[in-house]
Amino acid sequence: MFDGPMDAPAPALPTAKHRVPRAFVDMARRVACHRDLQRWALLYRILFRLTHGEGHLLNIAVDPDIHLLVRMEKAVRRDVHKMRAFVRFRTVTAEDGEAWYVAWFEPEHYIVEANAPFFTDRFASMRWSILTPDRCAHWDGAVLHFTAGLTRAEAPDADAVEPLWRQYYANIFNPARVKTHAMQKEMPKRYWKNLPEAELIPDLIRQAPGRVETMLARSHAQQTPGDSK
Amino acid sequence: MDLAAKLAVLADAAKYDASCASSGSNKRHSRDGKGLGSTTGSGICHSYTPDGRCVSLLKILLTNFCIYDCLYCINRKSSDVRRARFTPDEVVQLTLDFYRRNYIEGLFLSSGIIRNPDYTMEQVVKVARTLRVEHSFRGYIHLKTIPEAAPELIAEAGRWADRISINVELPDLQTLAPEKNIWRIRTSMTVIQQKIEQSKAERRESVKAPSFAPGGQSTQMIVGATPTPDRAILAQASTLYGAHRLRRVYYSAFSPIPSASSKLPLIAPPLVREHRLYQADWLMRFYGFDVAEITSEAQPDLPLDVDPKLAGAVRNVASFPVDLNRAPRELLLRVPGLGVRNVDRILGMRRWHRLTLADLTKLRVPLSKALPFIVTADHVPKLVAQLPAAQRQLDLFVPATT
Ligand code: SF4
Repeated sequence: MFDGPMDAPAPALPTAKHRVPRAFVDMARRVACHRDLQRWALLYRILFRLTHGEGHLLNIAVDPDIHLLVRMEKAVRRDVHKMRAFVRFRTVTAEDGEAWYVAWFEPEHYIVEANAPFFTDRFASMRWSILTPDRCAHWDGAVLHFTAGLTRAEAPDADAVEPLWRQYYANIFNPARVKTHAMQKEMPKRYWKNLPEAELIPDLIRQAPGRVETMLARSHAQQTPGDSK
Repeated sequence: MDLAAKLAVLADAAKYDASCASSGSNKRHSRDGKGLGSTTGSGICHSYTPDGRCVSLLKILLTNFCIYDCLYCINRKSSDVRRARFTPDEVVQLTLDFYRRNYIEGLFLSSGIIRNPDYTMEQVVKVARTLRVEHSFRGYIHLKTIPEAAPELIAEAGRWADRISINVELPDLQTLAPEKNIWRIRTSMTVIQQKIEQSKAERRESVKAPSFAPGGQSTQMIVGATPTPDRAILAQASTLYGAHRLRRVYYSAFSPIPSASSKLPLIAPPLVREHRLYQADWLMRFYGFDVAEITSEAQPDLPLDVDPKLAGAVRNVASFPVDLNRAPRELLLRVPGLGVRNVDRILGMRRWHRLTLADLTKLRVPLSKALPFIVTADHVPKLVAQLPAAQRQLDLFVPATT
């Protein structure tokens, strides 16, 4: 059940035969990836309660243990999702002269193993590595394997396509509707340092009011006097 | 013009389309190493721009040259905007390059109309076909279709695309878009809908049957370019969800465009109004609200200062307070501040646990909003007259003769 990536000990399971809801198994699998050390104690406590007269426990969303379980699960789930979103590959030339795609990512939780199949499903025809401080995942076109964590210095620092990506990012932004709060809610600042497009953000925000004013002035000038409402 | 310069022009021209969704399609993968890409069913936002919008797809126009003259559009023929045109191969290459670096979920391609609708649609379809056939691209493709184009071209677009859209733009379209016709758009939507359903039925019989826009169709309406009230906009949306089974209707606050026509307002985009429309749309789709519950003949616009659910509750104050420990699901869903998730949580635990205000805080229910409308084990609301001023200001509710 706890096939989490960690070398931490799995909790002792009750010896007698017990049934727990499938939902708990799924949640426990994710919570096992959480960085917080209290995860094992929490999972054990809930497992104990589920098998000792509180079979309905998962329904009580306001129970302190369940509340914490749900919160931790959500944190892992979000981290998994953000990794899928914010990994940015850069190409390097491998020994055989062909491209190898390398990304640097800093996950909040221990999710590299759990998340790797998403990338093999999507990018199996490429060869790639995702480097993180905890674990690194590598796909050579046939086999997925993991190695120990690295530092950012090991990852490439540029890619020939990034200028085009930044160009796209700058131009798909509409300066007439700045909503930086909404942006930061979904793309918190801690991710920015590894997103090639994020370095444009301060300038885009700073220039926005001026761009809108220029545009309006130009439009007003073109509308003949008496024509505008 | 080099590729980067074209990209600047043709991304800029595409940014007035609000949709960037990459969700709701078939699940696909390329685990076998033969193609490129996957879809998981629930889209991914790969970035966010400072306007708070998600960047999920490479959203560009094939060209912003256009023979039409829709007044609200920056690309209309009478606009003096800078023009550019991609070749289909350039778009294919950009999509693949971006996709391999994990910047995007796929492509959202639309185009200004060049020469004639058929020629334009052919070019758009060619991009999708090349991606799917030559490159076995399994990422997401959203194509904007042109209702005037030949049916075979629309059929082929649906063959390659995950989602298809035709923008309604305005319930009173013809006033600002002389070459467009709302009925032709609705007819196209019907045809597309039939094809989607037919393909779904065939695929139930055989997985080999070709898919047709499995992510469904969507549309966009511009808000604030004409005096159309919210009630008319929502009524239109409701018809589109009902009669045409649209997956999504997007609302786009009309944003001033360079060299705007003098028939259009040159004001900041009505973002709050747009937000309220999305909230109302949400209530219609997931909470079973009806347009008539959200707006009225006398008040055809949504209030800007409070959300539509709260406004509706204040108007229907007689059906409150709702006892969270007893009320059925439909009533719980009407309580301001209670979302679908929390309603289900409450229903899940009521048998074993009597809800208190402390529980609601744990569930992050905004108490200030919900309190006047609910009863819990430790709470009975004050009289309506003691509601916070902001809610009374609405003067939407007739004070009950208590
Ligand atoms: S047809 Fe499309 S691109 Fe052309 S002017 Fe109308 S809205 Fe703009």
